[in-house]
Amino acid sequence: MLSYILRRLVQALVVVLIVMVFTFSLPYMQPHGIDAPAYSILGDHATPARVAQWAAQNGMNHPYLARLWTYISQVFFHLNLGVSYRENASVMSIIRLYVPRTVWLAAVSLLLTVIIAIPLGIYQASHRNTVTDYTATGVAFFLYGVPAFLLCLLALEAFSFHWPHLPSSPPSGVAPWAMFTSPVGFILPVACLTLLSIAGLSRFMRGTVLEVLVQDYVRTARAKGCSNRRVLFRHAFRNALGPIITILGLYIPALFGGALIIESVFNYEGLGMQTVFAATNLDVPVVLGITLLITIFTLLGNLLADVTLGLVNPQIRIEGTKA
Amino acid sequence: MSATATTPVPPLVITASEPEKITPLWQRRLRIFAHNKLALVSLGYLVFITLFCFLWPHIHPTNQTNQAATFNVTWNQPPSAKHWLGTDSNGFDELGRIAFGGEYSLTLGFLAGFITIVVGTVYGMVSGFFGGVTDTIMMRILDAFLSIPYLFLLIALITIFQRTTTMLIIVIGVTGWWGNARIIRGDALLIRNLEYSQAARSMGAGRLRIIRRHVFPNSISNIVTVATFSIADAILFLSALGFLGLGIVAPQTDWGTMLQLGSQQLQNGYWWEIYPLAIVFILVIISINYIGDALRDVFEVRLLER
Repeated sequence: MLSYILRRLVQALVVVLIVMVFTFSLPYMQPHGIDAPAYSILGDHATPARVAQWAAQNGMNHPYLARLWTYISQVFFHLNLGVSYRENASVMSIIRLYVPRTVWLAAVSLLLTVIIAIPLGIYQASHRNTVTDYTATGVAFFLYGVPAFLLCLLALEAFSFHWPHLPSSPPSGVAPWAMFTSPVGFILPVACLTLLSIAGLSRFMRGTVLEVLVQDYVRTARAKGCSNRRVLFRHAFRNALGPIITILGLYIPALFGGALIIESVFNYEGLGMQTVFAATNLDVPVVLGITLLITIFTLLGNLLADVTLGLVNPQIRIEGTKA
Repeated sequence: MSATATTPVPPLVITASEPEKITPLWQRRLRIFAHNKLALVSLGYLVFITLFCFLWPHIHPTNQTNQAATFNVTWNQPPSAKHWLGTDSNGFDELGRIAFGGEYSLTLGFLAGFITIVVGTVYGMVSGFFGGVTDTIMMRILDAFLSIPYLFLLIALITIFQRTTTMLIIVIGVTGWWGNARIIRGDALLIRNLEYSQAARSMGAGRLRIIRRHVFPNSISNIVTVATFSIADAILFLSALGFLGLGIVAPQTDWGTMLQLGSQQLQNGYWWEIYPLAIVFILVIISINYIGDALRDVFEVRLLER
């Protein structure tokens, strides 16, 4: 098991390196040259001397490979992602401010998704083709088809303006864990993010459990007189757990993508809103730093899912050590 | 060997006279598509909206670019005989604007989706067909790309490159194909090991010929289906960018940018700036997805027997 984890860690590290080389090289591919952002930061009438000075400040006067090496070694050995073009702060200090907010938002809604979607999917599978099943399927289909930002807008319009019961945005300038101390403002964002994830996950859970329910071992369990509940939770649920863990691992990028939209709609100062803010200000280092960080989160999520899968399913564990 | 290969031609001519009674393949496929009423309605809606977006500005021209002409005159007007769907917060006629923004959303979405399918197909075919080390390396690179959350990557690219119409198409086009490549690669891998591909290889067909004559035609069903979903995705991501304020730059606009502008007026109750467009937009996405589902059935061989 340990060698399996190690092997996967090395694989993830290689992927991070590829992504780093890719994101680092992106500014070189733009048609107007690497120092093009200078004009948006210093103004259109910046003198060539001032632009050259700005480029030197940001280390752009060194050759590509030397810069790449500096960048990679800085990231790996000093956790240094460079300096923002706009603000007099390192990218890391900006990110560190916003990471906990987004991670709390994502974690709470992921937890809620799991708590709601898995039982819902099991219920739908065991009560297939009933009114409840059709209703849940219809709602899931709608949520799956509607773009995230439109769902948020509709929720905002309904519960914040039409029936003004809930605040349209969480309180600003509060601690990252504010959703536990003053939860009212977080109801809408968390509910939207959760609804978006439930749609996909409950559909998937329903399908997986349906597949398991027709297996021979379920028939055997029923034949020897297991109660319906025992069949569902002892046999069906346990065997459907594998695919669900994999999907949850793959779900992390979508979760952060959803958080990005939700933070923008509900005006929540997290990583996503910071990305959009930096993007509108053409603050390339901040955007690339956040992208790299989210990529690492994604890879860790996949790794965690695979390791959990290995713990849950002995077949995979054996296969992993053999290869 | 090549001399004997020419002899089986006569039996082929005999079999060619038989299928005259059978309706042509495309007709049978068309019948399956027509059987799906939901897909027909979707196709009708999509054609209608496309025609509307491109023809309405000519039938009923409205000012959509000159802000000086609308300054403080017709801002946020509710629907009236003059402006059927009212005006937005810049004073532009909302109905005309849906067509004006739709031109860009549909064109950009279609072109970007088209690029993703072409690039994805070529990459997937090469990777799946050559297999071995080539496949491993190409798929590892794809893994790395796929682990970057898509929306963040799009934003990063939009930040680095200039936000022009062409650049938006290119950015979505060159990043959207990774998932497609994986699906097509699976197809190519499967088909190259099927008996007819092996037969072609045993008769000395080159790799390019097998890809062109066997692998590509036999995976066309997946390619067409994936293409429809790619176009829906491209429209969706373009609108998401627009909604985040990173879409097409004024004076042009797209549906996402319009929805963002309209959302700022929600608390004032100016429903006409958001609901008509939201409904048009959601229905476009849903109908493209329905058409994709129907196309999947069209190419399903088991359904052809009817």
